[in-house]
Amino acid sequence: MMIYQVQHRTTFRYEQSVSVSQHVLHLMPRDTERQRRLAFDLSCTPQASVASLGQDYFGNWRHHAAFERGHDKLTIDARSRVEVVDPSQNLPATSPWEDVLAATQDPRFADVAEFTFDSPYAEGSVDVLRYAESSFAPERNILEAATDLTTRIHHDFEYQGGVSDVSTPVGEVLAMQKGVCQDFAHLQIACLRALGLPARYVSGYLLTRPPEGRERLVGADASHAWVSVWCGAGGWVDFDPTNDVLPSVEHITIGWGRDYGDVSPINGFIVGGGDHAIEVAVDVRSEDASS
Amino acid sequence: MTFITPDDSGRAHRPWPLDFFPFVISPAEWQLLEKGLAQRARLLNEMLVDVYGDRRVLNEGRLPAGALFGTPQFLRPCSRIELRDNHHVHFVAFDVGRSPDGRWWVLSDRTEAPSGAGYALENRIVTSRSFPDLFDEHNVQRHAGFFRAFSDHFLSLAARDEPLAVFLSRGPHKHTYFEHSYLARYLGFPVVEGSDLAVRDDRLFLKTVEGLRPVDLVMRTVRSEMCDPLELRADSTYGVPGLLQAARAGNVVVGNSLGSGVVESAAFSSFLPVLCQFYLGEKLTLPSVATWWCGQAEPRDYVLDNLDKLVVRQISTTRSLLAQGQDGRVPGNGKGSDRDRLVEQLRFTGHDFIAQETVTLSTAPVWRGDGTLCPVPTVLRLFVAVTDDGYRVLPGGLARASIDAVPHTAWLAADDISKDVWVLADQPVDDYVTLADRLDPNHLRRSRANLPSRAADSLFWLGRYIERADAALRLLRSLVMRLGGEMASSRHLVTPERIISLLIAQRHLAPRRGRRAIDEGRDGVKRELWAVIFDPESRDGLATVLNHVRRNAEAVRERLSVDAYRALTELTELPRKRVRTLQPDIEEALSLLNRSIQHVAAFGGLVLENMTRNFGWRFLDMGRRLERVRTTTQSIRHLTVRGDPEEDGSLELLLELADITMTYLSRYHSRPHLPQLADLLLADESNPRSVVFQLKAVSDHLEHLARPQEGEVLGRDQQIAIRLISDLRLADAFALAETVGRFGARTHLHRLCRQLDQGITEMSDYVSHRYFSHTEARRLRTSDVLRDLES
Repeated sequence: MMIYQVQHRTTFRYEQSVSVSQHVLHLMPRDTERQRRLAFDLSCTPQASVASLGQDYFGNWRHHAAFERGHDKLTIDARSRVEVVDPSQNLPATSPWEDVLAATQDPRFADVAEFTFDSPYAEGSVDVLRYAESSFAPERNILEAATDLTTRIHHDFEYQGGVSDVSTPVGEVLAMQKGVCQDFAHLQIACLRALGLPARYVSGYLLTRPPEGRERLVGADASHAWVSVWCGAGGWVDFDPTNDVLPSVEHITIGWGRDYGDVSPINGFIVGGGDHAIEVAVDVRSEDASS
Repeated sequence: MTFITPDDSGRAHRPWPLDFFPFVISPAEWQLLEKGLAQRARLLNEMLVDVYGDRRVLNEGRLPAGALFGTPQFLRPCSRIELRDNHHVHFVAFDVGRSPDGRWWVLSDRTEAPSGAGYALENRIVTSRSFPDLFDEHNVQRHAGFFRAFSDHFLSLAARDEPLAVFLSRGPHKHTYFEHSYLARYLGFPVVEGSDLAVRDDRLFLKTVEGLRPVDLVMRTVRSEMCDPLELRADSTYGVPGLLQAARAGNVVVGNSLGSGVVESAAFSSFLPVLCQFYLGEKLTLPSVATWWCGQAEPRDYVLDNLDKLVVRQISTTRSLLAQGQDGRVPGNGKGSDRDRLVEQLRFTGHDFIAQETVTLSTAPVWRGDGTLCPVPTVLRLFVAVTDDGYRVLPGGLARASIDAVPHTAWLAADDISKDVWVLADQPVDDYVTLADRLDPNHLRRSRANLPSRAADSLFWLGRYIERADAALRLLRSLVMRLGGEMASSRHLVTPERIISLLIAQRHLAPRRGRRAIDEGRDGVKRELWAVIFDPESRDGLATVLNHVRRNAEAVRERLSVDAYRALTELTELPRKRVRTLQPDIEEALSLLNRSIQHVAAFGGLVLENMTRNFGWRFLDMGRRLERVRTTTQSIRHLTVRGDPEEDGSLELLLELADITMTYLSRYHSRPHLPQLADLLLADESNPRSVVFQLKAVSDHLEHLARPQEGEVLGRDQQIAIRLISDLRLADAFALAETVGRFGARTHLHRLCRQLDQGITEMSDYVSHRYFSHTEARRLRTSDVLRDLES
């Protein structure tokens, strides 16, 4: 059992005063089979004129915050305390991936079927299908095949910032074989969906360790993204193609959706402002010193 | 009436093609249609309640998941929003066709932003006016009752008494604008654009010149995904950020609800009979055209085997593929590679495709230009709205006769012809009932406030540009008159060069062009002048200012009378109508300028006589008057500060430009002198062309616009007006005319003119800031930027 403290602070600085800004926030971690949220605090400077909390379509927590007085700087500071109850994922009984594919047609799993269709940031293509197919030999066990795909993406693709942005299509990432965690997650999602398998995008945090012999730097962490694959009646299993692991003790989930667009941490709209600078500081700390 | 066809890149207005023969439907046939369409509206509404709610239809296996989840119009953020009356669908249109055996088919369902009702109304007014006797004798059912019942119900959904309902439009540059604003005007809802609205505190407001006013109801003609850039499509400029949250909070009712376009998807068509049983426990009375959804193996295989006989459409693009033939028939000779591609797409993303059987449409007679009647395939667009008594069908609609009657094509293709639809009744129908009857007869309504800031802005600039155009036209006319051989008389001493420099000073002529004209003598002057007057593409000619007039007029078209708008259209069209082959001459230039000046005068007269003295009128008039102060003071400064204006003809020119030659002559019976002229043109409060007269009018407008509760005694704009007025009243005309110092400049006059010029610039800025400050310099969606900062 592990308890984490996460601080996620975003600061916007505007050249000219912003008269009104509205934001939809996905910053409060949801409870899952693996984790429990013990506390959450959201503080904004200046204070929000309106703030409300609700659940979005996917059951994630969504804050809606509006700032209606002029401001040239805005800080959104989210602090969570999360307990990872069961560090190991309950891996379901295994079955061939074709059986999972067939199960998506069952009305009982209609909600799952939603994650088999293309979404704006994860669009499939014949090339994507070709790339995916080599992990999915006939009758291969779904867990094994998905793990293989995760490993291949980790192996074939180079982690490199600055080569892609939010609008870079999956096909382009596939061609240049470079990108960041969102790109890998979107690619893997597109691969699975091209086969007809349900896959969703998970937004969250990852505990990072300092290089050997160095102090941990506060605020040097970042938000992270990985994928979740539906493995039949057994449920959803997470895979992290960026690190080639099955998320367990060091991954903290905020929420999930079809792709980044459904769960981006801060999605805002501002009036005015001129040039702006944004700064994000994420800090994930384990309360258990022995970890 | 004109309209803009969707594919007209040049946005030319075409005349509305209306065939005078109505499409007639008998009472018995209508009963069938009426029942079927009302049922269909109920069904679509129930489907929406379910798909944005519990989704029983999926969980109970009545609809394959892909038919819903594969449709891009399924907008997840719109789920589980509580509705005030359980209605997603308030106003829906159906395209229906009749096959030659007399059976009716529904070709498409339009729940997103149905258009056409405005045209139906307009057609009805034209045809009933043309055939009043026929119309009465045959008991043609009226339209007014339907719209009244809809509007009554819609307004009753508001949480407040005296609610404000608005009609959300994409603006005058869209082809549907005319008919939407026509319908909105008929219903009495103001037409607004996304930028007129703002969400504050989870509530929707209209930005008016008097501040924010709460909006209770929105009838939208903007597609759902474009309505809220915060939660839906971020790149939309037509929406209101936060609208969805306001709806979620229950503070505004949007009709049709955001997201309701999902049931338009043809993916549902093949399941409608099942869904009708499921939701309503009834048999579907009006069938859709036979449809196969390719998201399931069995129908997909059928489609692949019968590609030649079916029309295939992609759901996400709503384009039809391989269907260019007449009547929507797939040409048997689909090109090889296209066909292979289609087959591959059907296999890979079948859920995004449907195939439909083609329907041969029955025809209706259309009157041809050569005097014959010709049978043309016809589709009807019929309308259903929710009322206090449930769904009600408009008895009538819009018939579209189209040689290429392919269902689902862009609404009203270029050579389509529209017809009124007459639904006959067994008994005489009530006499005209109009919407006005809804008003309490004891209730008088004076001019409404709620002037959106954007409209005020456009009216103000329309005023400024129309006055600027007037000044330019008069200046050009004076110049042209001095070019003719006879014009070199003693009455016209001012040289063309001076007028050219004045044109340059007032930015009606580029300095480069002006210098070139002067250097090359009369021929050069003429050549440059013709370009300025006649060339619609010239960037520094008359066309520029006329384009501004046109743009601002279009933006407030529904606030101007038909005649006033027509005067402006004729003004702006005039230079374009000219036959370009002929070399222009002085006579033609004068004729064009004179006619243009008359159109400006006609517009001014119509505004003066007919426009309600509301805030809109005040902004329009204020714009004109501020601009008149500007042009008058600039002319005075330019022509009289230096030199000897009494001798060089400048004063005559000033009188000519201000159109007060006669006033001066009748008052002074002599040739003009500067002190007298300065008094008349600047400070004479009885002269409607004088500067002080304009400023007094502006001051009066500002006083009416100012909000008394604001605490401040006088706004900055009012202070400036009062100061300038007293400067003018205190000015000594003889002192103004005196030259001072070595260089012989009229320093007092110069200073006064400069003060006036600066004053009106400051007032104009202040008015903009105070009343039109909705101008949103920049909008930014932050998630796109933030993503770069993640791991």
